[in-house]
Amino acid sequence: MIYKKLPQWFLLILPAIIILAAVILIPLLFSLYSSFTSYRLTRPDTLFNWIGTFNYEKAVKSGVFWAAFGRTILFLTIALNLEMFLGLGLALLVSRVTRGQRMLRTIMMFPMMFSPVLVGFQFKFIFNDNVGLVNNALQSLGLSNSAIPWLVDEKLAMFSIIFAEVWMSTSVFAILILAGLFSIPQDPQEAAKVDGCTPWQSFRHITLPFIMPFIFIAMAIRSLDVARAYDIVQVMTNGGPARRTEILWTLIGRTGYVDAKMGYANAMGYVSIFLAIFFTIYFFKKLNAARVELGMAR
Amino acid sequence: MNINRLSKLKSFFLKVSHHVTLFIAMSIICIPGLWIVLNSFRPTVDIMAKPPVWVPRGLNLDNYRAMFGGAGEGGVPVMQYFTNSLIISCTSTIIALFVGMAGGYAFARFRFKGKNAIFVGLLLTRAVPGVALSLPLFIVMAKTGIIDTHFGLILVYVAMNVPFTIWLIDGFFRQIPPDLAEAAEIDGCTRWQAFWKVEFPVAKAGVASAGIFAFLTSWNEYALASQLTRSTFSKTMPVGLRDFTSEFTINWGGMCALAVLLIIPALILTFIVQKHLISGLTFGGVKG
Amino acid sequence: MAQVILKNIVKNYGKLEVVHSINLDVAHNEFVVLVGPSGCGKSTTLRMIAGLESISGGEIIIGDNVVNNLPPRDRNISMVFQNYALYPHMTVRENLGFSLKIAKRDQTEIDKSVDEASKILSLEDYMDRKPGALSGGQRQRVAMGRAIVRHPDVFLFDEPLSNLDAKLRAQMRVEIKKLHQKIQTTIIYVTHDQVEAMTLADRIVIMRDGNIEQQGSPTQVFENPINTFVATFIGSPPMNLLPGRVGKNMLEFSGGLILPIPIDFKDIVKPGQDIILGFRADHIMPVGHDLTIDGDSAMIEMSVGVSEPLGTETLLYTQLAGQEILAKMLRPRIVQDGETLTFNLDLGQCNLFDAVTQRNLR
Repeated sequence: MIYKKLPQWFLLILPAIIILAAVILIPLLFSLYSSFTSYRLTRPDTLFNWIGTFNYEKAVKSGVFWAAFGRTILFLTIALNLEMFLGLGLALLVSRVTRGQRMLRTIMMFPMMFSPVLVGFQFKFIFNDNVGLVNNALQSLGLSNSAIPWLVDEKLAMFSIIFAEVWMSTSVFAILILAGLFSIPQDPQEAAKVDGCTPWQSFRHITLPFIMPFIFIAMAIRSLDVARAYDIVQVMTNGGPARRTEILWTLIGRTGYVDAKMGYANAMGYVSIFLAIFFTIYFFKKLNAARVELGMAR
Repeated sequence: MNINRLSKLKSFFLKVSHHVTLFIAMSIICIPGLWIVLNSFRPTVDIMAKPPVWVPRGLNLDNYRAMFGGAGEGGVPVMQYFTNSLIISCTSTIIALFVGMAGGYAFARFRFKGKNAIFVGLLLTRAVPGVALSLPLFIVMAKTGIIDTHFGLILVYVAMNVPFTIWLIDGFFRQIPPDLAEAAEIDGCTRWQAFWKVEFPVAKAGVASAGIFAFLTSWNEYALASQLTRSTFSKTMPVGLRDFTSEFTINWGGMCALAVLLIIPALILTFIVQKHLISGLTFGGVKG
Repeated sequence: MAQVILKNIVKNYGKLEVVHSINLDVAHNEFVVLVGPSGCGKSTTLRMIAGLESISGGEIIIGDNVVNNLPPRDRNISMVFQNYALYPHMTVRENLGFSLKIAKRDQTEIDKSVDEASKILSLEDYMDRKPGALSGGQRQRVAMGRAIVRHPDVFLFDEPLSNLDAKLRAQMRVEIKKLHQKIQTTIIYVTHDQVEAMTLADRIVIMRDGNIEQQGSPTQVFENPINTFVATFIGSPPMNLLPGRVGKNMLEFSGGLILPIPIDFKDIVKPGQDIILGFRADHIMPVGHDLTIDGDSAMIEMSVGVSEPLGTETLLYTQLAGQEILAKMLRPRIVQDGETLTFNLDLGQCNLFDAVTQRNLR
């Protein structure tokens, strides 16, 4: 009975490990292997055509890849920072409300629960140059008399996509920061007031250090499924028109499924995986540091 | 007295600007959703009208009728998609909860070597972008023949949800003092009984919110489902939204109606879960 | 000179009024303790003085300024909180210097003030630790240190000792008293513990249900409580209360007990009036146990239910006229449960309260 000898904790986490291994680890190993081959979906025999690091070299040399990579980083940086600041602002606004706060909090959570693909369609509709809400409103108010090509122009399309992403995910920050604001003991804040702080000073020196861990939790959670933004982009522009909004994930999807170059797509997929893992670990590290700072760690 | 009056004026001004800003923020959050709901009741002529029709006229249920009418406009089998979504989300949630409870309990109650490394490792699997995962999964599943089945998608969603479920449930179990289970064991329970009779009832609310969160993730997921399902018999609703688009036109009215059907369960569940969810996330993370 | 004056201060939360138009004058350098049961409005009053709560009516004057709507930072006060309210992410040194840093003082000046405060409170050894690594008593001292570095006009203490254990509390009481002698500043101190009030205060202000019941020196409120509430709230053990009725030149109690009217009250009470007789355990002792009585006294026989030896004295729980009565015995000996003793009641130390208004008839 080998079974009896295994420690209890191991038996308890075993199901999780088996499922994750089967669904995520094994496919990833497979894709790691295939990223060194010239595998094409349409020609299964190419799976055994070992080409070394050719795919990676190709990616590194490819202008399209670097453009998408840079755009992804830019997109993430702008979106995450905006979400954090807006979330912080929203949380502060809501925390100061005394009546009807529960309702405001619920409203605040709604976008978070929308399917990303739905958010994509929703904003594709709203930013539609012909029948969209934004253009209709601008034209009715007389602010613009031509149809603004929100999803066609490069800058405007990036703006629209970031707007949709920020709309969807700001509430993650707002909700967690709000929870942080409520968990702050009242006393130090009052002590700061008595110590002569202006509202800004008590925010800067007392409130902010206290909510830092919560900001990092939100960052960590967000970076865990930051690729949710793929759904939005795929629906709104699918990287187009003419690759103007191409980000890493849409590039991978197109290379794999449309061009059927699985090996190459998997190689780029690995880059995106490491990017996501890097962000996640970075924020978990930050979270731990902030916890130690506040003496919250065990 | 002058100083006093100035302070008063200042706080009044702050109050007004606070309310105005809050109103604007809430409008930005609400309007896109309401816009979808409104358009699901409008006839296509109104949606496409130029110049735009602002005051709604002739709201009707045509889009819904078409949607549920089987081969109505566009002929999208919405009920089939709804059933698929429901079966896949519910089953994967229940399985993820059991796996997550076992794992979360282990992390909350046992000390073992490499605990933190394993924990972070589990969480990191969640960070793998769906589209990057979908490529190899597509091939593996095609080879094993479970592509385009409920089972295949359920398996994937369980794996997607397990890390997060473990994180949340671990946080909830940690809030329960270990004395509770120890007392029960002294009272004559086995560890198994102590768990189900004492610890589980206390953590129930937390487990429920982890469940709702897992459900919503599966319910809303698109990147994987769009590649791993092809036929009406396994497509989920988020994938179904695509059916309203053809190469050059989009049936906005019909899509909005499906969107409403997709949103409603999410909204109801959000409302139920909001309180527990926040405490779960923060306890898991901050008190770590 | 920083006196604090409250004029007709009112506080309400919506329709609920929690502080009803109270008036209080605190002189420069005075140590005033606000005491009362929880929910009596004492903390609210203190927080209104600090500016942490807005006032709903009346006027607050600190020094020579009306501060009704001023934020706390413009009132030149400092406050010690019940839960210490230390900033957990700063070291002790940073905690102490924070208010000066905010006020943009020189670093040298900050260092000087912080060193001075740390010396007064003997915190030198912990300056670079964070609050999480300190014991309860040390945190308490840091909190006080943070208050004194600013040299404020007024010190506010909000139940500062309630989180400490009994021994540490006694020790900190002494330190606070020493601190007051050293720094000579007006102090307003809130507590629910009457022992702290008695030991610390120049003047005690007893509050109940948002009203000031009585104010005066510790001796005054101890010896001449204005009503039965103060009588039972101040002093440990609480004053014994015995309801009865005024007869012809005597007081009648249930069970046929008859006592003479205490001399101070002879001309005040009217026959037929319902009264409550109040006396402390110190004034009813077994005969022969160190009770020196100047005026009238009464001998009463009572059987002891339970005795509580405390070392230097023994508390005796007895029954009199259907009421539980606490008596004291100095020079303790072993008392059997149920033993009957003769007690001497010092009538000169008794108080009479009106049974209806509960007020002292004096």
